[in-house]
Amino acid sequence: MHALDRLNPFTITAYFLAVAGIAMFCAHPVLLTMTLAGAVTLCLVRRDVKRRYTHLLYWGLFALTVLINPLFSRHGATVLLVIGNKPISLEAILWGLTSAGAVLATLYLFASFSAIMQSDKLLYLFGSLSPKLSLILSMGLRYVPLLSAQWHKIKQTQTVLGLYKEDNVIDRVRGALRIFWALLGWALENGIVTAGSMTARAYGTGKRTHYAVFSFTRRDALYLSLALALAAGTIVPLALGALDFVFYPTVVLTHAGALSWLGYLSYGALIALPILAETEDTAKWKYLRSKI
Amino acid sequence: MEILTLKNLTFSYPEQTRRVLDDVSFSVDEGDFCVLAGGTGGGKSTLLRLCKPTLAPHGTCTGEILYKGVPLDNLPARESALRIGFVCQMPDQQIVCDKVRHELVFGLENLGLPQKEISRRVAEMASYFGIEPWFDLPISALSGGQKQLLCLASVMVMRPDLLILDEPTSQLDPIAAAEFLHTLRKLNRDFSLTVLIAEHRLEELVPMCDKLIVLDGGRLLGADTPRALAPVIAAHPLLLASMPTALRVGCALEDSRYPLSIKEGREMIASYAHQGTRALPKQTPLQDRSPALEFKNVYFRYDRAGHDVLEDLSLTLYTGETLCVLGGNGSGKSTMLKAAAGLCKPYTGTVTVLGKRMRELRGQALYRECLSLLPQDVQTAFLCNTVREELADAKITPDALPFDLSHLQDTHPYDLSGGEQQLLALSKALATKPKILLLDEPTKGLDAEKKTALAEILRTLKAQGVSILMVTHDVEFAALCADRCVLFFRGAAVSDGTPRAFFAENSFYTTAARRMTRGYFDEAVTVRDVVALCKGETV
Repeated sequence: MHALDRLNPFTITAYFLAVAGIAMFCAHPVLLTMTLAGAVTLCLVRRDVKRRYTHLLYWGLFALTVLINPLFSRHGATVLLVIGNKPISLEAILWGLTSAGAVLATLYLFASFSAIMQSDKLLYLFGSLSPKLSLILSMGLRYVPLLSAQWHKIKQTQTVLGLYKEDNVIDRVRGALRIFWALLGWALENGIVTAGSMTARAYGTGKRTHYAVFSFTRRDALYLSLALALAAGTIVPLALGALDFVFYPTVVLTHAGALSWLGYLSYGALIALPILAETEDTAKWKYLRSKI
Repeated sequence: MEILTLKNLTFSYPEQTRRVLDDVSFSVDEGDFCVLAGGTGGGKSTLLRLCKPTLAPHGTCTGEILYKGVPLDNLPARESALRIGFVCQMPDQQIVCDKVRHELVFGLENLGLPQKEISRRVAEMASYFGIEPWFDLPISALSGGQKQLLCLASVMVMRPDLLILDEPTSQLDPIAAAEFLHTLRKLNRDFSLTVLIAEHRLEELVPMCDKLIVLDGGRLLGADTPRALAPVIAAHPLLLASMPTALRVGCALEDSRYPLSIKEGREMIASYAHQGTRALPKQTPLQDRSPALEFKNVYFRYDRAGHDVLEDLSLTLYTGETLCVLGGNGSGKSTMLKAAAGLCKPYTGTVTVLGKRMRELRGQALYRECLSLLPQDVQTAFLCNTVREELADAKITPDALPFDLSHLQDTHPYDLSGGEQQLLALSKALATKPKILLLDEPTKGLDAEKKTALAEILRTLKAQGVSILMVTHDVEFAALCADRCVLFFRGAAVSDGTPRAFFAENSFYTTAARRMTRGYFDEAVTVRDVVALCKGETV
């Protein structure tokens, strides 16, 4: 159990929305570098990406995006070299790096977000909007493994009865279709029992409540207010143009003194917030363990 | 005080003249543990469903059902949902949500209870039912027994006064079933919860119930204590077949003590034991010892990091024999069957089918006139809309079957009863003219009458030269129709022998008849054996 897993789903969603929003809508190399560094670190600290292959995929996508932009973009005044008769400009490379970085950072952010927001938390989030919506989601989540298990069972049975062949593509498609229809019939048949079981337990007799196991703690209040304050500290300079960055035709970095610094510092702190929370938590554990 | 009263209840389904229930009247007192018995199609399910307003079937209904003196129709929907709990036989279909926790609170959410109240009730129930260790799991990670226990718990959180159960243990193995019934009995004792249950498995239920309600073809035969009803049941052979072993022996001996439990049965046997012979002639093993299916030092595991499910398994099915494999859950029985059917491949060892190695039987060769498997979940065998299409699809001529399906031709497979579904699936399994038939829990969900019929069919098939390998939990059934029994433990066969020798040597994993006669008779494992010995005959 990590520190972030214990926060209220609303706090978590608010945080990730703020960071992802800023990362996606402002193309600013400095801010993006911070986002990327933070997102990757958070992912590594929490081990949210389980397979190495996934990392490779992310970075491969990044490399591809970086390469493509300079090849096709004709903007940019500072030409570095010419391939064929296409000029490759410094500005185009920088823009490529920035946009690819934005995509990569978002991927890592979402990897962490989906790891933290297990189905329970998503249900809680939707349940607060509408108890019915959360029930539908929960039922859907129940049916996915149920149907896939049944699919597998039907296929095995048909195989041993000698009615399912996998010799060629046509056989396979026909076999799959037959299983699909059998599964559909089975699901409909089951649906009747499930519906009976729902009404037997008072479904539809009155207004439903949504039972939530997550409470809004003092830690939530602390983290949420910190996150909101820091997000505001970034958005205000952004809105006032203190954090502007122009790529074409030549790179222009606006610097407006204190206001810009406020933006950089706030955003840096916002990015560092979950990493600090995680490391603080680990340190606390180690300290408590050493006391035993 | 009467909690449920039925007055002259008569019911028939739309567009049918047959009365499913015919003038049924009885009452259930508060705190009673009532068992509803009767053959399949005797109206048990219909009766139970009529007692739960939201599940009541459509049809013509006359007479009255009163809940605590109030007609059921006058009870508000919310009130009836709250007061009357209902659990049916399919655990998977009853569960609505994706996780144990969500399922437990489902009913309480529907009632619109405040958070605090829900928390308390859920905590209470989870502790009482021992659900805590798997409280956070998704439903897909639970065993059948756990699922059914969850169904019960998620009804109990609503605090019903009357609990109705329609064959709740028919899909469970005997250990999980016993645990479920034990929990039910505990609820009844601890909270004076009124229980009305219909069940096939009456061996344990009848001795523990306060009232036995017996239906026969829609008519009430009686509603009284089991002992008071025993003479009535004794006159109905089909009903008697589903009763506890002790009572069946008692009735066959025309003994007026009517024993119900194993303990009472032993007391009765004691008075017969000193006269006559102690043992039946030994069953002789089959003479023909040519193997039909052979496992040699087979090892299998589902994934690399896991443990061996089959571990050094060596087992032979001889030509023309019926071999029953018994054993606990997770002992590898079903996996063995899958390995025999070519559905999973052992990583070492060899499986030989009719003299050919499994590896040599490519493609469809294994399933053509060679080997077939009847799955545990027979519904997975059905692909069509009617029995006729189903039979045509598998190219079966109905006349060639050892049983009759002709009266069901236009019925949808799902509308068949459990026993009929079993027969339809069996006919599909027989379509490829197998020489080896593999059966996975063939008696699951069948009542006593259907089991006897199935045993007869298996005997016919055996006479036709089919070798049968059966995996089952049902010791009584194994004792009845096996030539040889094998006990599975930790992925290998540990002991085998003829049913009489096998069940006589086991003292726990054995039939009720054997437990009842231990110390008095040697090797008496079926009701027939016991009766013969008591009467001094030798079979």
